Amino acid sequence: MSPRPLTRLRHAGSYFVLAVATIIALFPIFWTMSTSLKQIVDALSIPPKFIGFHPTLHNYSRLFHTPGFGTAYVTTLEVTLGSALLTVVVGSLAAYPIARRWRFLGRRPLEASLVIIRAIPPIVLMVPLFNLVINHGLYDEPLTLIVVYSAFNLPFAVWMMVSFIQQIPYELEESGEVDGASRLRILVHLVLPLAAPGLAATTILISLIAWNEFLIPLVLAGNSTRTLPLLISTFVQSRTIDWGVMTAGATITILPIAILTVFAQRSLVSGLGLGAVKE
Amino acid sequence: MTAETKPLRPTARMWARTKLPLVAFTLPAWGLVVAVLAIPIVSAVSLSVQNQSLDLFGPATYVGFANFRTDVLTSAFVHSLVVTAIFITIGLLVQIPVGLWLATILHRELRGTRFFRSALLMPMLLTPVAVGLMWRFMFNSDLGVIDWFIRSTGLTQVDWLGSANGGFASILIVNSWQNVPFVMLFMLAGLQALPKEPFEAAEVDGAGGWQSFRYITLPLLRPVLLIVTMIMIVEGFKLFDIVYVITNGGPGTATQNLSLLDYRVGFTFLATSRGAAIGVVMALMLTPAYILWTRATRE
Repeated sequence: MSPRPLTRLRHAGSYFVLAVATIIALFPIFWTMSTSLKQIVDALSIPPKFIGFHPTLHNYSRLFHTPGFGTAYVTTLEVTLGSALLTVVVGSLAAYPIARRWRFLGRRPLEASLVIIRAIPPIVLMVPLFNLVINHGLYDEPLTLIVVYSAFNLPFAVWMMVSFIQQIPYELEESGEVDGASRLRILVHLVLPLAAPGLAATTILISLIAWNEFLIPLVLAGNSTRTLPLLISTFVQSRTIDWGVMTAGATITILPIAILTVFAQRSLVSGLGLGAVKE
Repeated sequence: MTAETKPLRPTARMWARTKLPLVAFTLPAWGLVVAVLAIPIVSAVSLSVQNQSLDLFGPATYVGFANFRTDVLTSAFVHSLVVTAIFITIGLLVQIPVGLWLATILHRELRGTRFFRSALLMPMLLTPVAVGLMWRFMFNSDLGVIDWFIRSTGLTQVDWLGSANGGFASILIVNSWQNVPFVMLFMLAGLQALPKEPFEAAEVDGAGGWQSFRYITLPLLRPVLLIVTMIMIVEGFKLFDIVYVITNGGPGTATQNLSLLDYRVGFTFLATSRGAAIGVVMALMLTPAYILWTRATRE
């Protein structure tokens, strides 16, 4: 039984649109990665060399020898992981009573604050934060970045954890209550283990957002806490742009995210819309 | 949505046991909120009526609304507001239809849908700064692959980064490249949550694909469309990284949006108080978004 010609035509049209969209989505990534592996003559040749060039790691070795690259890489990892941990711990704690719809002091103001943090343009807070950070001698400190990143990403963590905790039936906790366990014990030993996949998804998403952060370190990081996005952004500011090093830097920065987007896609997708769309 | 939890009717002792810890759970979160939202907002408001700047030696003094007169009621601010509005409006007009279109195609669940979905989502979470660099290389007027493509198809060349229109176009292209997957994802979730019955009934009545889309899908998707639009407006005000990397507001200040203007005033010109004043106005402009969003999360 073959489909009707009209249906076939529609399928062909659908595949055509998907194919074009996929090329548009992936080509810039392919082009950046392939350019980073080219010698300068191949990178700048017209017409472009899509394939059939001699690959070289020369650009990467130059990138790794760029002053500050090593520090920037380590700082980015440190701040990303540190803030992901802090955000997820603080977010899970706050998410628990919100998810269970209990009434408690400050519930509504907290919910409203999270919405404001999510919606306010970060530059609005960065101007006074810079002033405060300088006045208190906190400039160029990894811990400052960790705390500020965590605050900005807290809404994502809370909203994601709320939805994951709500998927766990409350009846399970009642048995714990009867045994006289404290709320914190119930959360740590009963709820969070059951929400482990959600906890993992939240950690991954928060880490990605922290890894990408630009404006916060642009304002609050000095020479010793410069992050990777900051470092690579300086590559375009010189008069003559070194495309080889620049594409290598862009590749190194996006690679972990591209890999996670492929392998942790379900986790990421489940988290992104939360807080706005109810399932 | 979930099993309703039993309301707690506390006696005094139960209150101490059950309610007090609930507040304690939120204290760390309050710590972050106070340090990074509440104190900076209060500080921004107080800075905005002073003349604090980083090259000011000596104490700042109270200047009333002077900063609002010199920095908000000016052509530079209005220009940046218009730039922001252009990015948001054209962005929405492009990203929502394209995202919805791709979502409806993915929703047909043709063979290979999973592969296409993964591929199409790829740009969404990539580091905006790195994405800006990638496209800058492609937009380059002599060596870029985009101009090579345009030349080989015989179309007119575009001065992507050297002209105002080119600058707008390049930022919108890059922004849409990252946002369309996000819109698509939302729409796909929205489509998958729709009831099946109206569509079956329409098919029985002989409605065509376009008709059922226009008269069933779109009305049912209205709530999701509204939320996505709201998020895009919020994100439009936040837009900073790719503008900074791709045009840096140029040529001149042609593509300088509000976020970049505020950054320039606060950190390039070192005028803390003037930057704070611009920020306070920006934050106030988003008041409807805070209210709508809070309502959306409570429902």
